[in-house]
Amino acid sequence: MKILFFTGKGGVGKSTMSAAAAWQLSQRKQVLIVSLDPAHNLGDIFGVNLKDKKARFTENLYLKEIDLQKLSREYLQREINVLTGTYRYLQTLNLDNYFSILKYSPGIEEYALLTSIENTIRDERNFDYIVFDTPPTGLALRFLALPKITITWIDRLIQMRRKILEKRYTIHRIRGTQNEKETVLDYREEDDDTLKRLKTLYDYYQDLTSTLKGEGCAIVLVYNPDILSLRESGRLIEGLNDLNLPLRMLINNKVTEDNKKMADHVDGKIAQMVKDIEIRRVFLSQALLDGSSNKLYDIKEDIVSVFL
Amino acid sequence: MKLSIFDFFRQKLKGMDAVHRENVVALTIVEMEELENIFALLLFGSFVGFPAPPTFIAVELLPFMERELRILNQRAKDSDDMFAEMCGALGIS
Repeated sequence: MKILFFTGKGGVGKSTMSAAAAWQLSQRKQVLIVSLDPAHNLGDIFGVNLKDKKARFTENLYLKEIDLQKLSREYLQREINVLTGTYRYLQTLNLDNYFSILKYSPGIEEYALLTSIENTIRDERNFDYIVFDTPPTGLALRFLALPKITITWIDRLIQMRRKILEKRYTIHRIRGTQNEKETVLDYREEDDDTLKRLKTLYDYYQDLTSTLKGEGCAIVLVYNPDILSLRESGRLIEGLNDLNLPLRMLINNKVTEDNKKMADHVDGKIAQMVKDIEIRRVFLSQALLDGSSNKLYDIKEDIVSVFL
Repeated sequence: MKLSIFDFFRQKLKGMDAVHRENVVALTIVEMEELENIFALLLFGSFVGFPAPPTFIAVELLPFMERELRILNQRAKDSDDMFAEMCGALGIS
C-alpha cells in the first residue's frame, strides 16, 4: 500500500490535485481518497454528498471526508470515561460531569487528525493507494511534526518515570513490608499504569513515524506560479526537511500562457531548494474556465506515473 | 502478658532496625517525591506558565496521576518555607 499526502498553501489546488491523482490512479488500482481539511470540498469536486462515511465513487475509487470535531469529541469522551471510571466515587456526589470540561483542551484537533490518519492506514489495508488531502501549510506541518515532538516528550517522561520506580524499589527493599495493611507503591514497570500508558503511546508514535518516513509514503507539494506561493512552499520544504519526511513530487498548478514566465521563475527557485525531485506542471483548464466541463478531477496532465 | 527478656530484646532490636531503615530511606523518599513533583509539573506545567507537552499526553495520563498531583499540591503549599523543608529533609534540627 502506498500513501500520498498532498500539501501546500491554502487555495493552490491541493484538493483538486489530490482528487485528480486519485482519479488517475483508480484507472488501474484500488484507491481511497481522504480529506483532512476542515474546510472540506472533496464532495464538491466529485459532485457527491459525503457525510463522514466512506463513499464509493467508482469500482476502484472511494471517497471520505473526516469530521475533525466529531473525532475530537469521541477521543475526549473516551478519556472522560477512563477518568470517571478511575474516580468512580465522584458519581455518588454527581460530580463526574465536571470532567466534560476537558473537551475544551487546546491541541486536541491535531491529535484527532493524526489519529484519523493512523486509523485509516491501519483499517484500509485492502487499498493499493490512500491519498490524503491535508489542511493548509500551518496545520499540516503542525500535525506532521506531532509524532516527532511527542516521541521526544514521551521518551523523556519514560526515563523520568523509570527513575521514580527505581527510587520506589530502593525504598521498598530497605524498608521491607512492616505490616500487611501497608500500601506499597508500584515499583515494577509492568505494574505502573503511568509507565504502561507511556510505553503504549511511544510504540504507537514510533510505528506512525516509521510509516510516514517509509518508502510507501510520499508527500506531494502543490504550489502556484506566484511569489507568495513560492515563499510558503519554501517554508514547507524546510519544515519537511527538518522532520525528515519524504517529499517526492512537486506540482506547479494553474499555469497559463500569461504566467509562464513567472512559472519558470518559481520552478527554478523551487528546484534550487530540492534536488532530484520531479516537478510537474498543470495548466489551468480552459474547459473548466468556460464551463464546458464540470469534471474538476479529470485533468489531462499525468501526475501519478511517478508513483505507479 | 509479661514479656520474656528474650522477647523484650528482640522487640527493641526490631524497633531499632526499623528506625535505622527509616533514617536511611528518608532522603530517598524526599528525592522520589521531588521527582514525582517534577513529573507532574512537566505534564501539567501549563497551569503555571511552563512549556507543556502536547496536551493529549497530559490528558492520556491524567487518570493515573492522583498521587503525583497531591504531591505537586503539597509542594506548592510548602514552598513558602523551603529552608525548613530542606532542613527537615537533611535531618537538621
